[in-house]
Amino acid sequence: MYGRGIYALRDVSLVVDKGEFVFLTGPSGAGKSTLLRLLLRQELATEGSVKVAGRDLAKLTPGQAQAYRRGVGFVFQDFKLIPSKTVLDNVGLVPRVLGATSVQQQRRTFQVLKWLGLQHRMNAYPLELSGGEQQRVAIARALVNEPAIILADEPTGNLDPDLSLEIMNLFRDINARGTTVLVATHDRELMRHVGRRSFTLDHGCLLEPS
Amino acid sequence: MKMHGITYCVEEAIASLRRQPVSVVLSVLTIAAALLVLGGFLLATVNLDRAVSRWSAAAEFSIYLRDDISQEQRVALNALLARHPAVASREYVSKADAAARFRRDFPDLAAGLADLEQNPLPASIEVRLDTGKADSAAIEGLARRLQQAAGVADVRFDRRWLDRLAAIAGGIRWAGWLLGGLLLVAAILTVATVVRLALHARRDEVDIMLLMGAPIGLLRGPLVAEGILQGGAGAMVALVLLYAVFVLVRGPFMTAFGPAFGEAGVGFLPIGSAVLLVLGGMAVGCAGGYLAARNVR
Repeated sequence: MYGRGIYALRDVSLVVDKGEFVFLTGPSGAGKSTLLRLLLRQELATEGSVKVAGRDLAKLTPGQAQAYRRGVGFVFQDFKLIPSKTVLDNVGLVPRVLGATSVQQQRRTFQVLKWLGLQHRMNAYPLELSGGEQQRVAIARALVNEPAIILADEPTGNLDPDLSLEIMNLFRDINARGTTVLVATHDRELMRHVGRRSFTLDHGCLLEPS
Repeated sequence: MKMHGITYCVEEAIASLRRQPVSVVLSVLTIAAALLVLGGFLLATVNLDRAVSRWSAAAEFSIYLRDDISQEQRVALNALLARHPAVASREYVSKADAAARFRRDFPDLAAGLADLEQNPLPASIEVRLDTGKADSAAIEGLARRLQQAAGVADVRFDRRWLDRLAAIAGGIRWAGWLLGGLLLVAAILTVATVVRLALHARRDEVDIMLLMGAPIGLLRGPLVAEGILQGGAGAMVALVLLYAVFVLVRGPFMTAFGPAFGEAGVGFLPIGSAVLLVLGGMAVGCAGGYLAARNVR
């Protein structure tokens, strides 16, 4: 709930199973991003609870919250890559911070980049890449920790239809490997193409699942 | 924090310092100025303490005798001195010896003394004290008794002005701590501002790393390390400047006040104090870095 009694999300109750691929959809301002932020514990619910793998996110200490986030990959609409770092460094940043040795870090980063077809661009800087490539780098960064869950907030919002489809296929492949995927999008055409369960939000309320 | 964490923090801190050299130089100079003031006061008090300690070890009474002192009074006075535990030794200086000393120490004025019909200088007993065997109250008591003893014209007691000098040294030390402390607070705030600027410059990076689950300690660590490096650098600059000033001032100072400080003269800060100054600078930087790092959450 925002201040002054305005609810960003209200009476939203949904369960996503492990290994599932679901869409969150709805018009702008419906509360999709807020729901993802709650799932990433970027925000805490003022009422109710958010549980992931049985753990109430509101009860995590700051240290536990960071450990939880390491199990969640997040993909943003605007990629949020660090422009001063190469593709390799952007993707390898968190493993490096977490103490992976340089060899381990490079091996893991290279594997992910290769899987996403970016191995030939690993020394490039984000601004030298196309939008689709930047988003694939962002996905690589989300995947490098081998997370159990991927959250994507309008990951194709800045991409043309062909690239959007390419990115969505990537998420499908990621899901096929057992990772739970939640994608927030208002692109119904894309959802129809992928054809998975979706939750529709409108003015912060959950409509009937489809 | 594991070794890789420390290495990561230091590497990131160095990279951040390189990104904003001008701000960092200003911050280092602010810390250096604060520590230079503190170090200057420390240097002054260390040398003053040394001098007071040296003069205290050589503390003595000078008991000036009346010209008409009787033999009995002289015997009573010697007995009083012989009994007191603080008296290490005593030497009788006759009126003739006093005149000879005067002529030796002040040759320009010796002619004036010769013109006088009568030697005006009194005979005296110079008493050397062993301050380890009696406290200052006991010595003060002895001074009062000597002052009142028959046949004594006056008693000059070095310890009184040494105590005053020690009190002045203490005052200088406190003034140094106060002024230095204020400057150190300013230095902490400067470091915090510079580190906060660095954090602002890479806020996106830090936010992304927060969302990716990087441990908060490892996100704050580089900022604290940055402060420590600035503080350490500031302290080193302060030490070098302090030494340069010391070398420049020592010559003229010793020319003017050398005899008062004896053969050893004045010295630079002992190694322990210098190390403490550097550690203090690092602590100042650490505090500034931590203030800025609290914004990462």
